[in-house]
Amino acid sequence: MLLTLDLNDARPLHEQVAAAVRRAIGEGSYAAGDRLPPARELAQALGINTNTVLRALRDLRDEGLLEFRRGRGVSVAGAAGGRALLVQRTRELLEDAQRHGYRREDLITILKELP
Amino acid sequence: MNPGTTTPTLATPSRRTAALWGLTVSVALAGGPLVLRGRLPDPIAVHWGLGLGPDRSMPLAASATTDVALWTAVWVTLLVMVPAVSGRRRARAGWWGALAGSSALFLGMGATTLLANLDAPSWTEARLPGWQAAAVLAAAVAAALLAARLRRGATDGSGGEAPVPPELRLRPGQRAVWVGRAGNRWLSGMTVAAGAGLCLLLLMWGLGLVRDETAADASPGLAIVLVAGLFTSSLTARVTEDGLAIGFGPFGWPVRRIPLERVQHAWTETRSPVEVGGWGFRGLPGDATIMLRGGECLVIGYRSGGRLAISVDDAERAASLINALLATRVSA
Repeated sequence: MLLTLDLNDARPLHEQVAAAVRRAIGEGSYAAGDRLPPARELAQALGINTNTVLRALRDLRDEGLLEFRRGRGVSVAGAAGGRALLVQRTRELLEDAQRHGYRREDLITILKELP
Repeated sequence: MNPGTTTPTLATPSRRTAALWGLTVSVALAGGPLVLRGRLPDPIAVHWGLGLGPDRSMPLAASATTDVALWTAVWVTLLVMVPAVSGRRRARAGWWGALAGSSALFLGMGATTLLANLDAPSWTEARLPGWQAAAVLAAAVAAALLAARLRRGATDGSGGEAPVPPELRLRPGQRAVWVGRAGNRWLSGMTVAAGAGLCLLLLMWGLGLVRDETAADASPGLAIVLVAGLFTSSLTARVTEDGLAIGFGPFGWPVRRIPLERVQHAWTETRSPVEVGGWGFRGLPGDATIMLRGGECLVIGYRSGGRLAISVDDAERAASLINALLATRVSA
């Protein structure tokens, strides 16, 4: 799992980690049912606290992207692939839009105007 | 490759060849004792101490059944592996070597056992000359090497060049890391079973249900399987700016660290246990494989010329990141 963090990102760290994991799953490096590396490993690699990673993973579980199973660790949820990809792309689209001065509402309007 | 000069793919392991071969060996293993049963003692000697004469016996039927069952286990494993090894030359060579070598070993052991017992009044009189045991081992190794050499087939297409992993661009102010894992459910299961068995054995020994000798006989084997399994049933690998770190076992310890300075470049390869010689740490330093499961492996080429392969999921991204980190380090 390739995780990238932007060192100038002002968002809370756990949100950044969640976004990085979401991106990795969205890019298809992990398919539904695949086991994620242990949170401790992710934390050590990123040089951050394990609890921060766990918080990010829990957020993603609440989103329906991940599944926590006793004895099996954390794995990608059954129907996550397509949705994760869409959510990730939409997020990127939203960030792009904001960079160009468009608000969320403007984006929705654009979406509605599309055939 | 020129389509007009394709070499015949005779050496591709086929299930039919393997099935027929295995059946023949099974028939030989069962048939020998059956044909010679009039001239054999029952039980027969099946194990010899070092030059000290026979030290274990088995009823003739049980001995033949055990031989056939053990051989069948090897044979079925090889049969299952056929699709996994057909594509690559080294895998094919390993497969043919394993088939020929294990056949020779089983047939040789069966034949020398029968020969030693032949016309002996009882199993305690059976004598196995030491040179025969050595000859069987040598013949098995020779058969394996010969089969691997003769049947490996044509070299792999596309010049045998390693595929270049996709290029990854790192932006300044970005921290990129990669974490991967690999596990083997069979090895994990075996480890758990060995651990449970050891606990049960010690408990029963503590309660006086098992004799001291039985406990002393069985516990070292179980302990070895348990310890070996703890370190080889799973691994985690991570790539950071410092380099590659490989943690063994469920606790990620011990850790092997390879600093980025030692790495020339990274790529991925498909390797299977049959071509590297089994599971665990295989090969020699300089061309070693940390093999937990067949399939995608991350391969590190050292500046010093050697290389190291690690069976791990998502290896391609790891290779891309290593190459990207190397590129930024060189340009920095």
